[in-house]
Amino acid sequence: MGSVGAMVKGASYSYAVFCGSFLGSPRLGFNIHNNKKKLLKFRSFSSKNTCCSLQPPDVSRLAKTAQISLTPNEVEEFAPKIQQVIDWFGQLQDVDLQSVEPSIRADTENNLRENAPETFEHRDAMIGAVPSYEKPYIKVPRVLSMD
Amino acid sequence: MASTIFRSFQVHSFMLYPTSLVTRRNGVFRFTTKASQSQTETQQRQQTKVSQSTQSKKLDKIPKDYEAVIGIETHVQLSTLTKAFCGCPYNYGSHPNSTICPICMGLPGALPVLNSKVIEFAVKLGLALNCNLALNSKFDRKQYFYPDLPKGYQISQFDVPIATSGFLDVDIPMEFGGGHKRFGITRVHMEEDAGKLLHTEGENYSQVDLNRAGVPLLEIVSEPDMRTGIEAAEYAAEIQRLVRYLGVSNGNMQEGSLRCDVNVSIRPIGQSKFGTKVEIKNLNSFSSVSRAIDYEIARQVQLHREGQEDQIVQETRLWEEGAQKTITMRKKEGLADYRYFPEPDLPAVILSQEYVDGIQSSLPELPEIKRRRYENMGLSMQDVLFLANDKNVADFFDATIAKGVDAKLVANWIMSDIAAFMKNEKLTINEIKLTPVELSELIASIKGGVISGKIGKEILFELLSKGGTVKGIIEEKDLVQIVDPSEIEKIVDKVIADNPKQLEQYRGGKTKLQGYFAGQVMKLSKGKANPGLLNKILLEKLNSQS
Repeated sequence: MGSVGAMVKGASYSYAVFCGSFLGSPRLGFNIHNNKKKLLKFRSFSSKNTCCSLQPPDVSRLAKTAQISLTPNEVEEFAPKIQQVIDWFGQLQDVDLQSVEPSIRADTENNLRENAPETFEHRDAMIGAVPSYEKPYIKVPRVLSMD
Repeated sequence: MASTIFRSFQVHSFMLYPTSLVTRRNGVFRFTTKASQSQTETQQRQQTKVSQSTQSKKLDKIPKDYEAVIGIETHVQLSTLTKAFCGCPYNYGSHPNSTICPICMGLPGALPVLNSKVIEFAVKLGLALNCNLALNSKFDRKQYFYPDLPKGYQISQFDVPIATSGFLDVDIPMEFGGGHKRFGITRVHMEEDAGKLLHTEGENYSQVDLNRAGVPLLEIVSEPDMRTGIEAAEYAAEIQRLVRYLGVSNGNMQEGSLRCDVNVSIRPIGQSKFGTKVEIKNLNSFSSVSRAIDYEIARQVQLHREGQEDQIVQETRLWEEGAQKTITMRKKEGLADYRYFPEPDLPAVILSQEYVDGIQSSLPELPEIKRRRYENMGLSMQDVLFLANDKNVADFFDATIAKGVDAKLVANWIMSDIAAFMKNEKLTINEIKLTPVELSELIASIKGGVISGKIGKEILFELLSKGGTVKGIIEEKDLVQIVDPSEIEKIVDKVIADNPKQLEQYRGGKTKLQGYFAGQVMKLSKGKANPGLLNKILLEKLNSQS
């Protein structure tokens, strides 16, 4: 999906797709994209990188931001796997792209829709699937901040 | 006088706190300052008086000069018929959770598809704000967890927004000193709104309404160019004016279709480094924007003066309308980590130069240009600001003067009688029955002497409430002014003959009775006698037989 040659400065979306296809196991409902922030920051500030300058993953912090609880065993287990993915990125970053124009996205066409209202037919089914619904609102635990 | 005082404060921009005091005293703003600040208040009031009388730089009394640096982030809710990424309609006030679908509810498998209207509105606004448009931009995911954000991320634009580096020209209202100001615009980008979260007091649960989730927004980030609460409020008002002119939003702060968050910091004058900035949220009107900023500046200046500037931390504060102060929200642990990355489900946004040019040529005359045009017509700034404020009023004005009548006269009619009528009847200018054609006809008739000014006002009222034509009403009610001197003479003679007692009194020295006679003539002529002629003939007759 999209050529690897001319890549976004953060190469983020192909990374996401790449990881998604590799770590296909549903058990790992990880938000892999957490690693993106480090890579993006790297990309913006330097044009050449080696894999050694990429930091090892802080799995506990990643799990926290993704709001996934991991046992210490799982933290240990996942760290090398995530490190491997980061290493692949290190390889990508080693490619010399000095003469290549950065592209924003791989696809080149707009996919737009008309500004015409459509009512979704099965609203009741959606509402019916909400775990905690107190008509007419969705009931959620009281949360005041984003922490 | 008020404006002179204000201007002197604009020069000594450090005296931002006294500015708010002055405006309060002049009754322009009504707000109370906290009792605890009364000491500084009295001190600064004395300094206010000093400046008032001398209007010179008596700054030696003030230990430090401070300058406020203010930036504003505005979210404009677009009035597209449907949401940004799905076909759900959006209507303010709909029954909760009625305009939703799998896409805006964030259900698994649903994919967003961009509404073409959103791009059109974004380009319109970017051009109107004099920005550089990115012909290629993209969407990103801004990730955080919150109950009103169904997908767990907001689709926004992070590093490649659709518009950057623009500016907005603003006219400060006359009562605050007037003058032109230009404020920079850092960027404009497209994003989607979250749902609504309602907290019930005392309960351990909250309620979510997703009707608003997915509604398109344009976020406008300004350069930190504002220096006072008034400048900030006027910037916000101009943004509102602009989005209404363009027809991209109804720009209503009370409804939430225009939201402003302000960032305020202060620094000693001359220092180039910015002070710690504080964000203020929960501003529901332009006057709250102004008052909240003034309060926050005062709060920060006081902390500086007490040597406690380290107490100013980068945080978000809420403006409390009731207490008229900013308060701390619960402090967060650190800066938010949104883990931005390009939205994989959406392609790039690609604009052609033709598309952009097409929109540029379809832009209406913007408020700033209109104001300059009205100014060049010779209208006073007061008139200019009134007429250009609402596009519909401006259009009405333009249509009327197109018929050839004097701009100043039209402005007067619109700003006085017509505006008063609209206010009383709670009607907009599009709802009144008076048409621009008839207004021009009315003015021409008065100018041509067909009817008197007084009769004109009566006809106006009829036109406003019931419509019709000037010519028709004149005929129907027989209102043509009497300008034939012999006609008037006849009436004057009759009135004099009918009032011998008053005549004697007049001849005896009570010359004030001329008014009485004039009134009687008017009454007899059903208001149609030309006042000038009437008085001339009356005087002659009254004074002749003595």
